[in-house]
Amino acid sequence: MSSTPSTSLLKALSPSDHDEDLVQRKALLAEIDASCRLPVLLFFICGTLWLLVGTLFALITSWKMHHPDLLGNIAWLTFGRVRPVHLNTVIFGFASEVAIGVSLWLMCRLCRVTLMHKWIIIMAAVFWNVGVVVGVLGILAGDNTGIEWLEFPPYASPILFFSYALIAVWGIITFRFRREKHLYVSQWYLLAALLWFPWLYSSANIMLIMDPVRGTVQSAVNWWFAHNVLGLWFTPIGLAAIYYFIPKVTGKPIHSYYLSALGFWSLALFYNWNGGHHLVGGPMPAWLVTVSIVASVMMTIPVVTVGINHHLTMKGSFHMLRHSPTLRFMVFGGMNYTVASLHGVLSALRSVSEVTHFTHHTISHAHTGMYAFFTMVMFGSMYYIIPRLTLREWPSAMLIRVHFWFTALGIILYMGPLTLGGILQGYAMLNPDVPFLDVVKLTVPYLKIRTVAGIIIAIGHTAFFINLTWIILRQLQPYRQPTRMIIAATRNAINPALP
Amino acid sequence: MNYGPLLFFGIFLTIASSWCGLVLIPQLQFGGQQAVKLESGEQYPPVRPGGAQRGEAVYRANGCIYCHSQQVRAAEFGADIKRNWGTRRTVALDYIRDKPVMLGTMRTGPDLSNIGVRNPSRSWQLTHLFNPQSTSAGSVMPPFGFLFETRKAGQRPAPDALQLPAPFNPPPGFEVVPTQAANDLVDYLLSLKANVPLPEAK
Amino acid sequence: MILLWILFLGGFVVLPGSALLAMRWAIRNGEFRDFKKASLLVFDEEEPVGLVTDSFPTGKIVLNTGPSPATHGVSQP
Repeated sequence: MSSTPSTSLLKALSPSDHDEDLVQRKALLAEIDASCRLPVLLFFICGTLWLLVGTLFALITSWKMHHPDLLGNIAWLTFGRVRPVHLNTVIFGFASEVAIGVSLWLMCRLCRVTLMHKWIIIMAAVFWNVGVVVGVLGILAGDNTGIEWLEFPPYASPILFFSYALIAVWGIITFRFRREKHLYVSQWYLLAALLWFPWLYSSANIMLIMDPVRGTVQSAVNWWFAHNVLGLWFTPIGLAAIYYFIPKVTGKPIHSYYLSALGFWSLALFYNWNGGHHLVGGPMPAWLVTVSIVASVMMTIPVVTVGINHHLTMKGSFHMLRHSPTLRFMVFGGMNYTVASLHGVLSALRSVSEVTHFTHHTISHAHTGMYAFFTMVMFGSMYYIIPRLTLREWPSAMLIRVHFWFTALGIILYMGPLTLGGILQGYAMLNPDVPFLDVVKLTVPYLKIRTVAGIIIAIGHTAFFINLTWIILRQLQPYRQPTRMIIAATRNAINPALP
Repeated sequence: MNYGPLLFFGIFLTIASSWCGLVLIPQLQFGGQQAVKLESGEQYPPVRPGGAQRGEAVYRANGCIYCHSQQVRAAEFGADIKRNWGTRRTVALDYIRDKPVMLGTMRTGPDLSNIGVRNPSRSWQLTHLFNPQSTSAGSVMPPFGFLFETRKAGQRPAPDALQLPAPFNPPPGFEVVPTQAANDLVDYLLSLKANVPLPEAK
Repeated sequence: MILLWILFLGGFVVLPGSALLAMRWAIRNGEFRDFKKASLLVFDEEEPVGLVTDSFPTGKIVLNTGPSPATHGVSQP
């Protein structure tokens, strides 16, 4: 290696805090897991706490939709503030933090390096949480920016961005010093998400908040951003996890690697352009909306490829769903990726959008993508990763089952009726003879079912939280019971003194 | 696929393309739009008076956007015009003074693009905001009591005290008066008018 | 307006064009060969193909295919 400034900079960032031999060879799985322990657990624990906060705000929001008098006269708990707090805590608190944790661990495992420069990640975690706290308090205090998916006030976003920059820098360093030269499909997705997000977030913040563009260009930027947070940040990380964990758990390689390449590049090409379908019928140039509708329809390609690929990989292993918590959540999430995306393709069509655009149907669709797909995949990942970080079993199989069934059935109960209610609401709104108040009253039963579904999901979350607290508390006890799923070699590498 | 730079290149290229397409081109096409002079000599869209500008901030802070859209779709697309939410569809020009543009994506409540035309009564708007049930029974809109002050009535009732119907009225000897924020919000609502005929909104 | 045309050209000719060139280069460079091998990257000597690596905490260890690797399964201390 020459001694140009750039390479010496890279050298300075190389994993110098590691054993000399670790820099040279591929790390053992156990060494990787041990190095990830503190930073990844930090993201998981904070993320789960945000999940509980987000769920609480979800329940308040949902209840207010049919009983608007609940907490009605408290300014900071009015509907228009708790709703964005729900969205932002689950998106930037829970989902992003867990996604970052999963990405760090996957990145280390696939690059076959231990997590280096731990302090970067720990600092990032602290700043990220501070950013979310500041943002949430800002919204409650009435500093909502009024831009959907970007509600955090201007003094919160830079904190998040700084934290994110640390993570991205770390990711690129890790990638640069990988010991496994071959790239697995999950790494493409992770790297893409890692690089797409800062572009999205900075662009949107600059063009909408710091130096706002004029008029409806704001709406174009807004939906380019908001849809891509889902498409270019959460979706790639969710898919990266599925592509890793289904083969890993079942012990069978992915069915077709060709399909996975096709899936990745078609997603990268088309998902980008989808945002405009949120503006169908709005005061936007026709070309912009049309381009987005075409891109949305083209999304069928990556979705169907990924769906077929996962299904063929799982084929012959479906009996394992009974035995593996991770696989259960992964397969449920994977199936809902297909459902959510095809549903999205349909909803983007002009004739469908005319009915469903301004209704609860959209809310239901958003939860299919963010919850039934992404959140379930993240739960599955955490069930796999956390025992390997803590070297303890999950304390209760019962709580895992409660978590799975309550969240899975809860979200189905959420999606089905609310989708139907949204369609009925849409048709009623298209009929000018139906007074508007009657349209509102028509939706109320579906909104009540939604609250019931929310309570069921909240029970599932509580079960997960208890199990997580329990496994963390087990850390305080002396090491007694080996984790079944950690193979002997692994255990010896961590602690050779054990019997 | 093992070549990192190729991956980086592809990742960069895809987002760059959509950024150019969905962000940059709209900005170049209609980001520089200016107000126009109507035949009457007035500017359109008009500059909002101070109260309405403060009211826009109240509307934003309390998340009205999550239930109310501000866009009227064309006559052949949806029933917006048949529902009397506007006389014409809204166009880019209508929004150039909005900070931020709050098109909205949800109609739990009705569209508000023309609420200032449709229901210009200040006292109705205030009563409705104080408790939507008092004017629209069965509505799921939250009450905005925190924008009002319930206080002991003086010798003579305050001129701006709300005239509330039976179960919603304050206890005897008390009256409900709007705060500055409530008045600003109503100023803003009454300024929402997208009914000036424009050539591009045919 | 001219600028707009330049951008359209940029957007619809230059970007996809360079993407195609990169694709051609990648194929010639053999980036799309050895796909079978790449799909095995999640496995290694520690956790080979056929090893099931997850189960409920009280559940039995299940093997999907192939013989049980010697390293698998931990005896209670």
